[in-house]
Amino acid sequence: MAKRRKRKASFARTQRNVQRRMVDPEVDFIKRAAMIGGVGGALWLGLIGRFYQLQVLEGDVYSELAKENRVRLDLAPPKRGLIVDRFGQALASHRSAGRVSIVREQAGDMQAVLSEIGKLIDLPAERQARILRDASRQASFLPTLVARELTYEDFARMKLYAAELPGVDVAMGLTRSYPRGRDFAHVLGYVAKASQRDLVRLTEDMGEIEARNARRLYRHPDMRTGRSGIELVCDDWLTGDPGSREVVTNASGRILEELGYKPEPQQGKDVVITIDAELQRFAIERFGDESGAAVVMDVETGAILAFVSTPAFDPNDFVNGISQTDYDVLRGNDRAPLYHKAYDGVYPPGSTFKMVVATAALETEIIDPRERIYCNGRHRFGNRTWSCWKPEGHGAMDMRNAIKQSCDTYFYEIAERIGIEKLAETAKKFGFGMSWALGMTGGAVGVVPNDEWKQEARGEPWFEGETLNIGIGQGYMSATPLQLAVMTARIARGGGVLAPKLVHEGPDTSPGDDKRFTDTQQPLNPDHMKRIQDAMFAVTGEWGGTARRSGDLGLGGVFMAGKTGTAQVRYISQAERARGVIANENLERKLRDHALFVGYAPHDNPQYAVSVIVEHGGGGSAAAAPVARDILAAAIRRDSRRTPTGNQVSSTDSSSEKGAL
Amino acid sequence: MGTFSYAGAVRTSNPSGAATKLGIGEKLGALPWTLILLIAGVAITGTGMLFSVVYDNPVEAGLPMAHLVRFAVAFVVMIGLSLVPLSMWSRLALPIYIATLALLIGVELFGSVRGGAQRWLEIGPIAVQPSEFMKLSLVLMLARYYHLAMARGPVGVLGHIPAFILMLVPASLIFLQPDFGTTLTLLAAGGIIIFLAGLGWRVIGGSALAGVLSVPLVYSYVLEDYQRERVDTFVEQLYGENSDALGDGYQIEQAKIAIGSGGLTGKGFLEGTQTKLDYIPEQHTDFILTVIAEELGFVGAFFLMLAWAVILGWGLYIAIKCSSAFGRFAAGGVVGMVAFYIVFNVGMVLGLLPVVGVPMPLVSYGGTAMLTVMSAFGVVLSGHVHRSETLARSGVI
Repeated sequence: MAKRRKRKASFARTQRNVQRRMVDPEVDFIKRAAMIGGVGGALWLGLIGRFYQLQVLEGDVYSELAKENRVRLDLAPPKRGLIVDRFGQALASHRSAGRVSIVREQAGDMQAVLSEIGKLIDLPAERQARILRDASRQASFLPTLVARELTYEDFARMKLYAAELPGVDVAMGLTRSYPRGRDFAHVLGYVAKASQRDLVRLTEDMGEIEARNARRLYRHPDMRTGRSGIELVCDDWLTGDPGSREVVTNASGRILEELGYKPEPQQGKDVVITIDAELQRFAIERFGDESGAAVVMDVETGAILAFVSTPAFDPNDFVNGISQTDYDVLRGNDRAPLYHKAYDGVYPPGSTFKMVVATAALETEIIDPRERIYCNGRHRFGNRTWSCWKPEGHGAMDMRNAIKQSCDTYFYEIAERIGIEKLAETAKKFGFGMSWALGMTGGAVGVVPNDEWKQEARGEPWFEGETLNIGIGQGYMSATPLQLAVMTARIARGGGVLAPKLVHEGPDTSPGDDKRFTDTQQPLNPDHMKRIQDAMFAVTGEWGGTARRSGDLGLGGVFMAGKTGTAQVRYISQAERARGVIANENLERKLRDHALFVGYAPHDNPQYAVSVIVEHGGGGSAAAAPVARDILAAAIRRDSRRTPTGNQVSSTDSSSEKGAL
Repeated sequence: MGTFSYAGAVRTSNPSGAATKLGIGEKLGALPWTLILLIAGVAITGTGMLFSVVYDNPVEAGLPMAHLVRFAVAFVVMIGLSLVPLSMWSRLALPIYIATLALLIGVELFGSVRGGAQRWLEIGPIAVQPSEFMKLSLVLMLARYYHLAMARGPVGVLGHIPAFILMLVPASLIFLQPDFGTTLTLLAAGGIIIFLAGLGWRVIGGSALAGVLSVPLVYSYVLEDYQRERVDTFVEQLYGENSDALGDGYQIEQAKIAIGSGGLTGKGFLEGTQTKLDYIPEQHTDFILTVIAEELGFVGAFFLMLAWAVILGWGLYIAIKCSSAFGRFAAGGVVGMVAFYIVFNVGMVLGLLPVVGVPMPLVSYGGTAMLTVMSAFGVVLSGHVHRSETLARSGVI
């Protein structure tokens, strides 16, 4: 009550003060709110009226216009660029093949039409069921794929009867083809229909309209996108620009007539790689049934001439999507055909690492190369014993002899003197612990261990005894066959800088700021390299060298220099050493040693460097050195490193085109 | 009277009842559930239409679900906010306004640019668009201003000047981002509150005249090139010309065809050919109405407009029934804001207004707008629940 009195009093005061304004704000509010309601209502009626005008009064006109959206611009997919080897041999090209598609809306009774098609070409019931399911998952006027990769006979028969099958379209399309199949599976990678994840990646930097167009483009049955290897990394370069195809359609979107391109699609650019396809073929054949990897490099330019990982898969199987069963078989194979062993596989380098340890010894001057260390088959450090591979010992060894005969004791001793930090530093000069962006996917870095690495990886400090294992390329040390080839090439050219290269003509493959690719290219001392080269020739060229039998390339006085390596896969206990180490032949395959060999030729004028690993192949001199020898001999015979001619390229793989049409 | 009659105040809606100490259960019971059901109906319609836009496009398949989840979250927020008494809203108005203004200035200084405009402020993993929140903040702030101003007596011409300043400062900041659509919405919401507060007719007439006269100046000196182009395109299509067949003009033309070809009853859910053939960009955001009109026809469009008319009319009724000036202006301002959203969006899609980029509330895909509109409805609902609450008539602005 008091409040109300007060309000009255204040109202009276206001009245006195502002005599002209007599409006009660509450009443005024209602008036003005009603006005807003009125204006709003009128606006609403106007908008609804406009809907009425467009949809009811002029609805027929717009329906007609919708149907007259007849001349339509369809995206025309560009032809993908080719990938060719250094001599212009096609490694990835195109193949034309017939395909059949169906539009649900026009087909009417899908089931009936599909069984009609089943009478003309092979179309099993489960495939028909799958087509029905695919079709029901998209708008009724969009085409669904019925069959692809038609043989000539099937294509001709379908073409003949297509007119009688409602909603059925028979057309010729281009698909990616890899004429050399397995040879380049890992290097080229493969293409596939863009998945949801691909589309997200492909459109992430695009505006909305651009992204929408891209998604439409990738719906085209001929359109593929790179999934791995060069096909993925060089995807932009290879893809090209889509054009537009002006087509006349009926009301439901079926194409009645083609009016031509505007503009024409632009074919993607070709990629020329440094590999010699014939050398690659030779190397793969030379491996036979063994699994393993080989890398051949041009010592002068760093060009990779062969980049082998075997066994491999056939990328042609992936282009149209591989079945889960087939894929599981590939995955289950213990020889890892899906895996690029030369670039992504890491192995203990074993004795091939001894050149690095010797270089570190020369750089730190912890030993005179002529100084001899006596090997009695064992080396003690602390209260533990490290064994040489030769139980009875090598006797007195200088550096040259220690490399030539691969004496472990010598390297235990000098590794101990050098210390892990300096050892790691030298290993990095050879390219260990890093990778190179070659224009393809992958690139393992391996491990160059030191105290910092171990603190991080294992949470423990480095134990000095572990340095001894690194001295013979075992323990935490691991490397890829590519790194071993780079090491060998750097030795062979006697210092200086050299990085591997795979793409000869193609997009810029510089890695950006990816931390894996951090080759600092610290120079190696040419005098040291001379000394190492001399010892490596002793390995293959002198009696008593571990690869004496493989030194001669059989080309009339051309020799290679090299180093064998045998990488232990299992731990050998002291007790077993006492009993006698079990021979590789008596072990289960996966426990056998990896055989390694690195080398270059000719030994007095190095041109080619090679690294070979034969997985679970046993000893390096017996299993890997002969393979390396034959590959080097083939490279010299073929003159693989001669200047690429490039560009004598046919745009379609002619042999398979004949097959399809 | 006082504390003894609160139960009666709720049941009889006694306008003179002063007490507001209701329990949560009673407040929930007092909510206008029919209105809330209508709001939910509109949002669920939006989800269905989004599904229609994306269902043959696996990349965007998650949008309808995301929309629904956002609505569910915003719904809880709305109900929560409706329980907050008007006195609390009134107390919070100034702090919220200042905080949002600070965020807006933050956007100017540190904001990230997306789609060519500097609208987003990234705080850790969350990206917010302060300009969206400003709409509600401004409504609350103006309601508080007039509530206190009117307590001192009728507001003269000069009394409206602070209100204009409160509105124009954030509006200019947002215009600089640049975000033309939000600027217009802000001016509309603010303008409606100032109008409701009794701005003299002479001033209204004067500013309308000034507004019309300034159009050429704004066009030549204030608008960015792309905004000018949109206006040009719009004017051209009004005269039936079309110089921009693949850009905005194309969009407007295709939108008309999609809407018109829907006819009286539409082509059926998921069966819209114009929208499915990707003729219309921005279909899941600003142009979602084309999908509704094509697939559900005039009937669908009519019922959507009817639903909105009922929701907004109800909101206006709630505003009138509030005993506090704050409640009246807050609810009225929200109604004005949402109404302008709709008029701008529908007008744009129907080719009656230039393409300014205003979404259809609750139907278009977009998180911040959803949260803004639902929070705003939360304030209106609070105005309903606490309609008999009388607020202190003095205080710092």
